[in-house]
Amino acid sequence: MKETILLTKHMRDNPSDSHLLNSYEKNGGYEVAKKILKNGSPADVLEEIKESNIRGRGGAGFPTGTKWGMLVEDQERYLVINADESEPGTFKDRILLERDPHQLIEGIILTCFSANIKEAFIYIRGEYAKPARRVQNAVEQAYEKNYLGKNIFGSDFSLDIVVHLGAGAYICGEETALLNSLEGRRGEPRLKPPFYPAVKGLYMKPTLVNNVETISSVPWIVKNTGKEYNKLGVEGSTGTRIFSLSGHINRPGNYEIEMGSSFGEFVETLGGGVRNSKNIKAYIPGGASAPWLRGDQLDIKMTIDDVAQNNSMLGSGAVVMMDEDTNLVSAAKSIVSFFAHESCGQCTPCREGTTWLEMILERVASGRGKTSDIELLLDICDNISPGLSWPPKMTTICPLGPSAVSPITSLMNNFRNEVEALIPTKVKI
Amino acid sequence: MTDNVNINVNGVEIQSEPNKLLIEACEDSGIHIPRFCWHKRLDPVGMCRMCLVEIETPRGKMLVPSCTTNVTEDMVVDTESETVKKAQEGVLEFLLINHPLDCPICDKAGECPLQDQTMAYGPGESRFIEEKRHFEKPINISEIILLDRERCILCARCTRFSDEISGDPLIEFIQRGNKTQVNTFPNEPFKSYFSGNTVQICPVGALTSTSYRFKARPWDLKSTTSTCTGCSVGCTIELNSSQNKMLRILGVDNEEVNQGWLCDKGRYNFEYLNSKNRILNPLIRQNDSFSETGFQEIYSYIKNNVIEQSKKVKFLMGTNISNEDMLAYKYLSETLSEEVEVYLNDDNLFEGFFSEDISLGTISDLNTSDTIIVWAEDIKENLPVLYLRLRQAVKNGVKLVVFGPNNKTLEDVATKIYGKGIISENLEIVESLDQIDGLTEYIKDQKTFLVIGKSSPVQSSNSLEKLVNFVNENSKMKLMNAFSSGNIYGAFQTFNNLKGTKEFVNHVNSKNTDTLFVIGADPVGDSIYSTKIKEIISDVQNVISIDMFLHETSELANCVIPTSATLGENVGTFTNIEFRTSRIDKLVPSPGKTLGDWEFVSNLLSFCEVDYQYHSVEALNDAAYASLEQNQKPIFDNLNKPSNFDGILNYVKPNISCTDESDIKSSFLLGKKLYGDKVTQRNSESISMLGSRRYIELNQNTANSFKLDSGKCNMIQGDFELTVDYFINNDLDDGVVFVPTNRRDLNKFDFSKDIEFNPSQAKESLNVT
Amino acid sequence: MTWDKDLLDKANKIIELYPQKRSALGPLLHIAQNKDGYISDDSVEVISGLVGITEVQVKSVASFYSMYKQEPTGKYLISVCKSISCEILDSKSVIDAVKDFTGLDNNETDEEELFTFEAVECIGACGGAPAVQVNYETVEGLTPSNAISLCQMLKDEQPELVNADILQEKFGGVKSFDWAIKDTSGTIGTAPGFQTFDTDEVSK
Ligand SMILES: Cc1cc2nc3c(=O)[nH]c(=O)nc-3n(C[C@H](O)[C@H](O)[C@H](O)COP(=O)(O)O)c2cc1C
Ligand code: SF4
Ligand code: FES
Repeated sequence: MKETILLTKHMRDNPSDSHLLNSYEKNGGYEVAKKILKNGSPADVLEEIKESNIRGRGGAGFPTGTKWGMLVEDQERYLVINADESEPGTFKDRILLERDPHQLIEGIILTCFSANIKEAFIYIRGEYAKPARRVQNAVEQAYEKNYLGKNIFGSDFSLDIVVHLGAGAYICGEETALLNSLEGRRGEPRLKPPFYPAVKGLYMKPTLVNNVETISSVPWIVKNTGKEYNKLGVEGSTGTRIFSLSGHINRPGNYEIEMGSSFGEFVETLGGGVRNSKNIKAYIPGGASAPWLRGDQLDIKMTIDDVAQNNSMLGSGAVVMMDEDTNLVSAAKSIVSFFAHESCGQCTPCREGTTWLEMILERVASGRGKTSDIELLLDICDNISPGLSWPPKMTTICPLGPSAVSPITSLMNNFRNEVEALIPTKVKI
Repeated sequence: MTDNVNINVNGVEIQSEPNKLLIEACEDSGIHIPRFCWHKRLDPVGMCRMCLVEIETPRGKMLVPSCTTNVTEDMVVDTESETVKKAQEGVLEFLLINHPLDCPICDKAGECPLQDQTMAYGPGESRFIEEKRHFEKPINISEIILLDRERCILCARCTRFSDEISGDPLIEFIQRGNKTQVNTFPNEPFKSYFSGNTVQICPVGALTSTSYRFKARPWDLKSTTSTCTGCSVGCTIELNSSQNKMLRILGVDNEEVNQGWLCDKGRYNFEYLNSKNRILNPLIRQNDSFSETGFQEIYSYIKNNVIEQSKKVKFLMGTNISNEDMLAYKYLSETLSEEVEVYLNDDNLFEGFFSEDISLGTISDLNTSDTIIVWAEDIKENLPVLYLRLRQAVKNGVKLVVFGPNNKTLEDVATKIYGKGIISENLEIVESLDQIDGLTEYIKDQKTFLVIGKSSPVQSSNSLEKLVNFVNENSKMKLMNAFSSGNIYGAFQTFNNLKGTKEFVNHVNSKNTDTLFVIGADPVGDSIYSTKIKEIISDVQNVISIDMFLHETSELANCVIPTSATLGENVGTFTNIEFRTSRIDKLVPSPGKTLGDWEFVSNLLSFCEVDYQYHSVEALNDAAYASLEQNQKPIFDNLNKPSNFDGILNYVKPNISCTDESDIKSSFLLGKKLYGDKVTQRNSESISMLGSRRYIELNQNTANSFKLDSGKCNMIQGDFELTVDYFINNDLDDGVVFVPTNRRDLNKFDFSKDIEFNPSQAKESLNVT
Repeated sequence: MTWDKDLLDKANKIIELYPQKRSALGPLLHIAQNKDGYISDDSVEVISGLVGITEVQVKSVASFYSMYKQEPTGKYLISVCKSISCEILDSKSVIDAVKDFTGLDNNETDEEELFTFEAVECIGACGGAPAVQVNYETVEGLTPSNAISLCQMLKDEQPELVNADILQEKFGGVKSFDWAIKDTSGTIGTAPGFQTFDTDEVSK
């Protein structure tokens, strides 16, 4: 199995200076943007995106063309790039920001031109200091050459970009929380309905929120046509996608591949196999929010739909491999603590439930568990995500709460014995 | 009006107005959905998740919060499915795991939604064996409010109220997730005129008031609905008592008037009822001291000295009594002298705007107008809940235009403020109105609502009249006269050719007056004409004070008749700023020998064998509205009908005869603050300290010209001298000084003469208690 | 205390970047963090004036985000990742090593105000687990012993500028991906080094 290099081409070909404008331009950067702004129409761009059938890379996998199509007319409209990448296991946006910021900027220009947007914000998680500096440099370079600002490329289209830093809150990756955060408020998700970004987004104005990888794909798609992009990958998961591979693996890293091959193949070839040639006990197919899959399920194909059929999700494209020696209870606890720590606190079930789950797992992991804890854990989960079904039902405003349920149900459905083994049972004398 | 939508709830077809929230639609049809965070008067946040219900969607049944879901045609809803029950039990368990078990010592116990719903929907015994969240037990977040963060269930009602409704967001969520807590900023307490509302809407005992703390248990509370007489808004209130002691006042949701809210003064200014300083027996003066006596003695004193001799009787009245009591005094005055002369204890009284070509507005008209224009004394200080309704109107998209320096507190919601430069220091509009930039655009052919009244005693009514006429000619105008004191509109309905304190000092003297009844009024204590009034009263031969307390005015009387309070100790009616008449009710017995005013009049006249037939409130209540259609009369029978819960509008054209010219110097801007030095507040322990600070406001230039730099200054007039704090307010004209006249002794200056302002090095606090 | 003219000018420049004042709240809080090492009540008051909301509203936002510290921090904020990928590659041993060296528990600062230690959630370096950040400059593929030498170096040399590439070269191991280009800029202080905030610096 090989990579298919689209988004990561420039950075690979020019490792020494891919982040600089002249390097990007030397290799054909900004050409398509210039072309479109001179003699293309907004509709052309939208058409290509629709034909490409690209789906959002932020986790929800929503068809991007459809999303752009839903943006409501208004004097002021905004584009917000979601660069809050915080889903444990995920580090693919980081490379795009660090190594090829101009590709993102060109994508933003095309997107805004297509959607008639005059102001864009790049919301980068605060911990990404270096990536943020790179992007800010790139933006400044672009302004100097008038690729941003008034009448860019001499066209009558003007666009401003502000790079905004978050401050340590995973929940701000959720698009409506991100908008609150960008407005200088607490990063609490808004109610949907009525606050759909495409209708009432930033400052209650229609707003496009897209992931870094999604928008970084736009220049390639517009340049090589959506038709070409659509040929790559498989139906429902077209194009390439950058997967972040981590865990007990010989060659962890970001890999740009066409969706469709199996996780097993991915691990063995690109991943260079499991460390110390151990076996995989369990793996996470799409970030910490995704239910785990078992080592004996490595033949599942890496497509949005295949993974969904196996009651999990491709989510943010973060694949975490856990070998046979992994203490899965500690692993689950780590993920639950993550969500407990990141809960915004609005919803009672998430605020109270995730912390309660964490406390119980802590007890169990440290050998102070009780037999009744297993049922208790599952019932608390059920009160956060009724029926423990997939995709999750929710008693909460956003999916964060239910995400904390995934590791526990995974554990209980597939590895209950590991939990029971940690619970001291009374010895008869 | 679009027609209703049909929805199916638990198999039953119900109808609802379109775009209603599901939780409300169900409520209206008698289906109760449990909730904590949702409150009818606040924007929904869907946080507590208690109100989850199941609705049918193309993708099958879905759990949704009924407090954030609008009804749609043919919506199918299940509020009692297993899934719903399970979810609700779950939420309750989650709320309880960190909730302390201190119900036995909690003020909320017995009227606590969390407690009630735990009984109704809650889990059995707790499965939570970990350690609960801990916070320092109640912390004072202001002089009158305490916060217990352990009890808080984070429903965001208090934070939303202070942000959305009262516009002073001083209480907020701090931290996030499981650490989230409500709190204030260290150096900035929850100093709000409306903080008591947050205590009332807190669904648990997290926010409590110093006033009610540990005072009672809900199950031995008696209660009745009444009307607040604190200002002319006349908020609907619920009185609570225990063992015949008034303990608490709650706001009642009257759609037309206060929508459930109250100002803290109205809410907490009742403790004086239980004050040990109440006068419980008649007092008669023997040379220069009072001695207690009986009513027979008092009646014969009045018979001998007044009824049989004097024919030159005048009345100086407060406005805190019911319409029925006022009517009784009207009858009394008629029996005593040929022409009735009643003076209200009001420094700002003038003829107002009641001519036929002006249509008067109601409070709810604010919401349906395009532009509201305010030129009056400070609304927030004098008509607090009207201030909330103004904010609400702006929230609903109404433009707000403010004239003059008084209503600075509306600044954050005002579309436009016309102050300095457009308004002269003597409160005249300097330019011709059509020249004022923007004004015409705001009103031209719009539905306008004009809130108008004297900003300060110096203001001439024709400076206001210019604006009234201009707006009336250029727009569809509704107008509200902003007379603010208590039941003043009741007085308008009762008396003819009313006059105020200014007329009193100009007309009344010992030659044309041999008897003066001072009724529930302390002009020496609170009028800006204090000194002159004191001289006059001291000269008059017979001064009869009818009051609850001995104060600077009643002390001057020859005899004092002890009255019961209008609040809680009497029955009657009250007429508010919209001429809306509503019920005043009695909950606690009158202490000692105190009598209701009407009772005193009736007993006195019987004693004097004058023929008089109004020996009950009912009789007076009937007589008050004799002229009206039976079913439109604000008589008790009608007011007690649920359909008249909002009160009954009945307009009677006021008959006020005031002179317009004033000798007050225009360099003094005079106004009253919400909290002041009134005898009732002084005797209400939990708020007595709030009105104690003496201060003035002036702009920087003025301060410099007086060489003020220390933050304090001495005000000197002849041999009278006071030390006060001063604050810089650059909205004031050069040379103008704002004086809050209801702060102790500030009304003792003669504002028709100069006052000297000198820097003071005084260190001591200027609070008077 | 309180903000000097330069800081206020910078603040006002940032405010101008946004359609609405309040959006500048986040950036201004980063500046406050950089100024005092935490969000002081004094800064809260200044910011409340600048963006026109009450102090408690500022505090409410500040306390929501984990990078705005409520307590003073040391010169170096050592944040060791404990999320899933690091957890299963034994971040615990790195955490223990740093705890041992600094003698600090989670979210503690030493008397000298040199180190503040915290175990944090995912910092987006999962491919280079276990990973840590020093003042938000990332070091990947750490071993307990390298973690200790890293702290030792900070203690001995106390550099003003913290730069990811320099640290990675000296103490790092497996990376999430090829960093390729060396960055000369880095962070000064406990707020992320970023041009707009003037919290970054280019090493000579
Ligand atoms: C709890 C939560 C966290 C999220 N975090 C991120 C994130 O870090 N980055 C991201 O791009 N999308 C994230 N998302 C998805 C966004 O809400 C949104 O769907 C996405 O940014 C849309 O962009 P796309 O259509 O290009 O994927 C998150 C969603 C949830 C519910
Ligand atoms: S589910 Fe959790 S994170 Fe999402 S809105 Fe509710 S409380 Fe906040
Ligand atoms: S009442 Fe609906 S979520 Fe709280």
